[in-house]
Amino acid sequence: MTETSRNIPAVELLINGIPVRAEPQMTIVEAAWAGGVPRITGVGCLEGVCGSCRILVRRGKEVNVALGCETFVEPGMEALFLPAPAADRHQYQLTDLSDGWDIQARFHEIFPEASRCRHCHGCVKSCPKGITVEDGVALAAAGHFREAGEAFLECVMCELCDSACPEQIAPAHVGLFSRRITAFFHLRPPNLIHKLEEIRKEQADKKEQP
Amino acid sequence: MKRGLTLQAALAAYRPDAELAPVPELNDPDTLLNSYHPDHLRGSMTKLTIGPNAGADCQRELADLLQAEAFIDEADLAGAQVTDTDVLVVGGGGAGCAAALAAAERGARVLLVTKLRLGDSNTVMAEGGIQAAIEPGDTAQQHMQDTLRAGHHAGDPALVAAMVGDGPEVIRWLIHQGMQFDQTASGDLHTRKAGGMTAPRIVHCRDYTGLEMMRVLRESVKQHRGIEVWDQSPVVELLSNERGQKCVGAVLGSLTDGSMRIVRTRSVILATGGLGRLHLNGFPTSNHIGATGDGLVLAYRMGARLCELDSFQYHPTGLVHPPHLYGKLVTEGVRAAGAFLLNAHGQRFIDELQPRDIVSAAIIRECREGRGIHTDTGGVGVWLDTPRLERSQPGLLEQQFPKLLTRTRHVGIDPRREPVLVHPTLHYQNGGVVIDVDGATAVPGLYAAGEVAGGIHGRNRIMGNALLDIIGFGRRAGIAAAAAEHDRGPKKITLEHVNRARRDLTLAGLPLTQRAPRILPAYTAAGKDIWKP
Repeated sequence: MTETSRNIPAVELLINGIPVRAEPQMTIVEAAWAGGVPRITGVGCLEGVCGSCRILVRRGKEVNVALGCETFVEPGMEALFLPAPAADRHQYQLTDLSDGWDIQARFHEIFPEASRCRHCHGCVKSCPKGITVEDGVALAAAGHFREAGEAFLECVMCELCDSACPEQIAPAHVGLFSRRITAFFHLRPPNLIHKLEEIRKEQADKKEQP
Repeated sequence: MKRGLTLQAALAAYRPDAELAPVPELNDPDTLLNSYHPDHLRGSMTKLTIGPNAGADCQRELADLLQAEAFIDEADLAGAQVTDTDVLVVGGGGAGCAAALAAAERGARVLLVTKLRLGDSNTVMAEGGIQAAIEPGDTAQQHMQDTLRAGHHAGDPALVAAMVGDGPEVIRWLIHQGMQFDQTASGDLHTRKAGGMTAPRIVHCRDYTGLEMMRVLRESVKQHRGIEVWDQSPVVELLSNERGQKCVGAVLGSLTDGSMRIVRTRSVILATGGLGRLHLNGFPTSNHIGATGDGLVLAYRMGARLCELDSFQYHPTGLVHPPHLYGKLVTEGVRAAGAFLLNAHGQRFIDELQPRDIVSAAIIRECREGRGIHTDTGGVGVWLDTPRLERSQPGLLEQQFPKLLTRTRHVGIDPRREPVLVHPTLHYQNGGVVIDVDGATAVPGLYAAGEVAGGIHGRNRIMGNALLDIIGFGRRAGIAAAAAEHDRGPKKITLEHVNRARRDLTLAGLPLTQRAPRILPAYTAAGKDIWKP
């Protein structure tokens, strides 16, 4: 930082319970580094796409969750770095899902909680990317996997929505499942398939004429 | 550096509909590179004195790490918990996941260890796309020629041929893992032509290609029954046999409790990525926090040969403003879609689709000669003219580059209305560990894949070849490691290679004070000043 910016009054806040004096314009991650908060390893890309730096933020009486690399320091703010998400409860491998016709049934076996949404909006409020999480889950539960997946395009898998869900739906994984099966069953691009077929024929010809 | 305009003055003078003079002819690209590319900065290079590359040119800050002392010695191994596995994959980015999946698909027991969290990597930030010659009229040969030419013919043709040949199959494999790509109205994969390419060949998922790839691969790995994942477990040293000539495992530290664990194995795949967080030559970086070149250090101490240690990619369009995103990337796809670069006087100064090293050198020239735009936090750059692109193709930025708009929305910057201030940022390690087409290094039992490996991109990588490289060679290394000779595992695990390196350091009169690998940048430690321009 340049000398001039050091003369600007510091912002005082608490990070992981430790009083920190930060420069304005710093993010919570930068303020934690500069302010002597013991090593925080839940940090990755520093541009809001890896979903690692999950924080709990309190401003006055308002409490919310956010990403530490794109949340800026404010006077009196309290921020707490959250641990990584717990292990997944759902289990599936795409190769187990050979038949697209029973995919709705399989989805509800894998994510039995998805149809139990209480419409509390906790997931929507907690999403740092402004995703329409609740609608996305409803679309998936109704079998509209392509639209559901599209709703989760900008999902960074921070799983903060999961921690906000009283029904333990794991919305981020519902979104990812929706995207994955859409590609797995339906993405069949003619230009790629044509090229793969060309390569296959070339290799078959080579084998015939050694 | 001559002073140009302030950000405020340049913004006030900017007009998205201003008449532009034609871009000046580029007569002598070599002189441009030699005068302005950061690889040619005076004092940036030194010669290595120990190890397999002794006598070779190497970037100075990297040389310090390659010629450093290990963290541990034999005493640290006593009492450490030992785990056995068939294949140990080091690194949880795209290459590590592809390697783990390929090895597990072939029945190997795989342990994937990663320094941070699975998926915390440079892959997740990749924006523009992945190259594969799939359009009619395009061929693998053309892809190969483009790759070699842009790399100044320093790449290994056998490796490049392997990579470009894998292209279409890699895309199919990714779709099979559940990855989406953008399509045209007729269902074809949408392709773009970027800098240094003779045909449209970049396939992509909006400007979130890496995010889409990484979340799909992470889920695939986590859900695979044959793969175990250890987070927060950096490798602090490799293990060798009693002659120090074969890799037989690794020693893992824990970032959560500080303990050490030993993994014994017949195959180690290094997929540790690059080194942007070493901030070579004082540059900002587009890289994630764990990109500290650990794999190069570990492989070199083990006796693996490295290549192109004096060649790094500075991506032309790193953000300068807002300050918290300093060094973060704007995809080349924006230039491929037609955006111009303008200096402080509103003039174009380079064909925007020249290879990255040339465009970067041209931006640095503009800034150094007083045609740059300065921020009050000490940054300098030129305009990436996104409003003009929006005027000529309304709606394009929102449809194809949502990440560009999303990242700065919460600080009130809209690239559709104001141009983006950019400057070259340390992006990619062009060279790395020398491998063959199976990802095997010169050390038996040690493989490398992805950015840590070298020989593919020569001295300059073109857009979209990194994602192809990590998946193609990740899978190749995984397949080879799973099939490697099963000699009932290592009999003895030692640090003989560490002892050898220590002897070499002492004989060369080098200090034993610096330790490596770096693992995390110093500024992430408590109480250290954070790194700023």
